[in-house]
Amino acid sequence: MDGLSASKREHFKKIFYPESVAVVGANRVPGTVPYDMLINILRSDFTGVVYPVNPREKAIAGVKTYKYVLDIPDPVDLAVLVYPSSVCNLALEQCGEKGIKSVIIISAGFREIGGVGIEREQKLLEIARKYDINFIGPNCLGVINTDPVVNLNASFARKMPESGNIGFLSQSGALCTAVLDYAQAKHIGFSKFISFGNKADINEIDLLYYLGEDPKTKVILVYLEEISDGRGLMKAAQEIISQTGKPILAIKSGRTEAGASAAASHTGSLAGSDEITDAALRQAGIIRCANIEEMFNLATAFAYQPLPDNNRVAIITNAGGPGVLTTDAAIQEGLQLAKFSEETTAMFKKTLPKTANIKNPVDVIGDARADRYNIALSQALKDPNVDGVFVILTPQSMTDIEAIAREVVTVAGRYDKPIFASFMGEKDVFVGIDILQRNNIPHYTLPETMAKAFATTYKFKKRLAEPVPVFEPFKDVNKEKAHQLLDAALNEGKTYLAEFEASEVLAAYGLPVVTSKMATSAEEAKTLAEEVGFPLVMKVMSKDVVHKSDAGGVVLNVQSADEAAQAYAQIVANVKKYKSDAHIDGILLRRMIPKGEEVILGSKRDVSFGGVVMFGLGGIFVEVMKDISFKVAPLSQKEAQDMIDEIKGAPLLYGMRNLPARDVDALKESLQRLSQLVEECPQIKELDINPLIVLEKGKGCFIADARIIL
Amino acid sequence: MQKEEIKTRVKKVIAQVLGMDEAEISDDANFIFDLGADSRQSLELVAAFEEEFDIEMDEDKALEVQTVADAVDFIAQYVK
Repeated sequence: MDGLSASKREHFKKIFYPESVAVVGANRVPGTVPYDMLINILRSDFTGVVYPVNPREKAIAGVKTYKYVLDIPDPVDLAVLVYPSSVCNLALEQCGEKGIKSVIIISAGFREIGGVGIEREQKLLEIARKYDINFIGPNCLGVINTDPVVNLNASFARKMPESGNIGFLSQSGALCTAVLDYAQAKHIGFSKFISFGNKADINEIDLLYYLGEDPKTKVILVYLEEISDGRGLMKAAQEIISQTGKPILAIKSGRTEAGASAAASHTGSLAGSDEITDAALRQAGIIRCANIEEMFNLATAFAYQPLPDNNRVAIITNAGGPGVLTTDAAIQEGLQLAKFSEETTAMFKKTLPKTANIKNPVDVIGDARADRYNIALSQALKDPNVDGVFVILTPQSMTDIEAIAREVVTVAGRYDKPIFASFMGEKDVFVGIDILQRNNIPHYTLPETMAKAFATTYKFKKRLAEPVPVFEPFKDVNKEKAHQLLDAALNEGKTYLAEFEASEVLAAYGLPVVTSKMATSAEEAKTLAEEVGFPLVMKVMSKDVVHKSDAGGVVLNVQSADEAAQAYAQIVANVKKYKSDAHIDGILLRRMIPKGEEVILGSKRDVSFGGVVMFGLGGIFVEVMKDISFKVAPLSQKEAQDMIDEIKGAPLLYGMRNLPARDVDALKESLQRLSQLVEECPQIKELDINPLIVLEKGKGCFIADARIIL
Repeated sequence: MQKEEIKTRVKKVIAQVLGMDEAEISDDANFIFDLGADSRQSLELVAAFEEEFDIEMDEDKALEVQTVADAVDFIAQYVK
């Protein structure tokens, strides 16, 4: 991976593995950040040297204190700034003079307060650039590294978490402390724990690359409030996932933001910023989680267990009902119930009670003790037809919960297949759950969340095996012509290109427009009709008329030149009646396209992710059902295919009952060409191709109407 | 009142409030960064200056003052 420069990599090393730390601005007042920061470093059994810096104190917590960082006689790897924001610039300047390249700025009072805070943050950046410093923050909780080589808690979090293989990044400091508390109760350990606050210098992309390279981190979790460089984030995620196999789980808050209300196109109104974020994260392979609980349900599955080779699960339970519930949940999540081999079935027949159900789900019966769980679990894990096991337990009077939990842990250690558990209940089963969690067996209160976690790990493994999508640009496009057309329109002050002008732009990118002619008089319509050919359709071209049919601005099935002249007069009269002051640019004549499946293609420019492409079936599917998919441009063949397959109505395109299969290859090509147009022509703000008519397989597709917003 | 006199009295007040030697207080010393004043002491300094010079200052603006020299200029606006 080349995401981090050599100097940044070196600076990161000193942030997470410093041999000496200066706490700049430490004080002697317990319960304040400057004091707690120093104490947390001391209490975490940090393996390096600590230097408190305070202008007046001789010592803090028994540690010799220096007036300025410059007074420290030895080299310092990391400075943690806890001064008020008004003097952080002075402290950072001295860090620069001292040769410290790695800094964490905990202090608040910067960009987040606006006004003078923005200026202060800018000043920090200037100083950092001057001295080649990289800093985390400001306005953050700090950094924790549980690696025993360093044992660093450079944060004001109350507790040092357990050591583990999960790396956690958060824009919110307060959320960090809540997560630490949550994780401690479930014995979830972390490799690195990082609050990055205002991300003035080091941002989430840098930190993702760092955790991607960190050998102690197996799973990466990130909490984001805003994404400033969506493309950079996607690129980093794709590289990390494909090159290291580490999953990235994200919570992105702000789901309810209403960003689409004032849009001028179908695509604009359908593509809210959260829908786009959702699609973009998925496209990059990032697993988006709705909340902390879901994030850790999935994180423990990835962190504790091997990934499943396939989706065939065995369910082992001591009660019938929960076995059925788990079966339902598994099927719902797209998993299969494993069909046991003959050997497994024979072994179950021989060793389990006669009343036991030896088919999947295996019911070891309510009086099952640890030995019976051992037999069922071991045999299921040995079976080549089984890719993972769900262990279910309900607390009955004879159930030895603790012993069964220990047995699950012991057996799990012998096989390289994932085991997930659900000990159903709360109070009685707690002792068993605690044993499972302490020993890295993912535990779920509900079978549904267990099945979802397994399915997520399976899908991730499947995706890892697929090649990374690569966009191959079409060489036959005429970018210069498209730019000329768009720039000319902008120079004329136009912000809206109706069908005729939009078609010219689309044609430059090889999109399937139908030859059209525009008439500005009935006589001209008569002549042009002969050139276009029959039957043809005539449509009003006017920026004042968005819904042409409602205005009587469309006449279909025109069969002759005389009919074309009559239609011209009729359309002009209808439109004037509909809207007397409507300016009519002309009437478009176009050969009628045969019937096919109507779909909508569109694009929008998103503030975080840039050009985004939308796809959906036409008419009510888009308007009412919102059956649409999004992806960030440009699209590889696979991504275009995925866009089509992601909508619920996709079977309509592949042929069903008496409906013919449509030309999906041509549709795919149109999506790709559109994505290239959007990527290469930033003048386009929004675009609708509505509808694109997809003909039967092998017969192509045609644009029936289009508009471009500049 | 001359600025020199204001400066001398400002340093005397600072030395009293922060419990340090007047000789350690340079003109360009920053209250927080060089003299180690915390937020409580900053408030005490404002109150002590008001008492010393018998003036009433805009507290928000007074707390924005960063150095001894700036404090002298700021107080000079209020002193006749």
